[in-house]
Amino acid sequence: MRVLFINNDGAGFADHIEIEPNMPVAKFFAQKLPHGRPEDYLIRVNRQPVSRDQILHEGDRVTITPTKIEGAIVS
Amino acid sequence: MFETPTLRFGPNAWAKLEYFLQAGDSEIGGFGVTSRDDLLLIEDFVTVKQRTTAISVKFDDTAVAEFFEDQVDTGRTPEHFARIWLHTHPGDCPNPSATDEETFARVFGNCDWAIMFILARGGQTYCRLRFNSGPGGSMKIPVAVDFSSPFTASDHTAWQEEYQRNVCIEPLVPRNGLLARSDDWDWVEDPFANEVEALLEDDMFEFELENWEDDQCRI
Repeated sequence: MRVLFINNDGAGFADHIEIEPNMPVAKFFAQKLPHGRPEDYLIRVNRQPVSRDQILHEGDRVTITPTKIEGAIVS
Repeated sequence: MFETPTLRFGPNAWAKLEYFLQAGDSEIGGFGVTSRDDLLLIEDFVTVKQRTTAISVKFDDTAVAEFFEDQVDTGRTPEHFARIWLHTHPGDCPNPSATDEETFARVFGNCDWAIMFILARGGQTYCRLRFNSGPGGSMKIPVAVDFSSPFTASDHTAWQEEYQRNVCIEPLVPRNGLLARSDDWDWVEDPFANEVEALLEDDMFEFELENWEDDQCRI
């Protein structure tokens, strides 16, 4: 099964990949970002936020982007 | 042309960043979108929806995701639009704060490479390249405006529209709740406001930074 995966970690990624059928989002995240903490990312499928147990489908567009991008001159 | 790695801004990108810097009394931030052939040449400065104050900027998480998706739809890959984090500081000090460093490590620390660029209102800049390939490391790199390629005129109308669409300036809120106005308390002048004002005007203001030199460069 193929999905489009968009992510900035490592070399950066925006391409179609093969995954096993009926994969939940949580498992996909753990496979693709094993170092990552889910709370540090916004996970969307087809531009919509999803729950960790949502099942991915053929042709889905999975976007994992960083959250809490912030700067401040005082901490 | 450049012997050492140098972050270069196309004239339009630099002009747009300067415009946003001066458009309001707050920090602002965005991403540098680079040339497809040169990852250190910023062709555009792009903002996303953000909440800002005079001393902070925070991107909207959904807007960041939309930015990624829109850029991918144009055929770009993340290394062309999501590796150069740009933001501004009030006053003359461009050095990163602890918050800046935390964001740079957490958000960009897993990328093969990334750049944190800070432009102070006084014109001083700070630019650091971080890379994870090989042994990894980071280094401050110079900044330049690259006039070598053709460029178009500025577009203040479009820039102002983008500014108004994306930049939400919020008032500074005292951290100490006792300073808030209340009928149960005698109102006294808020000393926090004076602290912030003094902070912004203090050219010598610096943060605790270990292992980093304060050699502010000016374009």
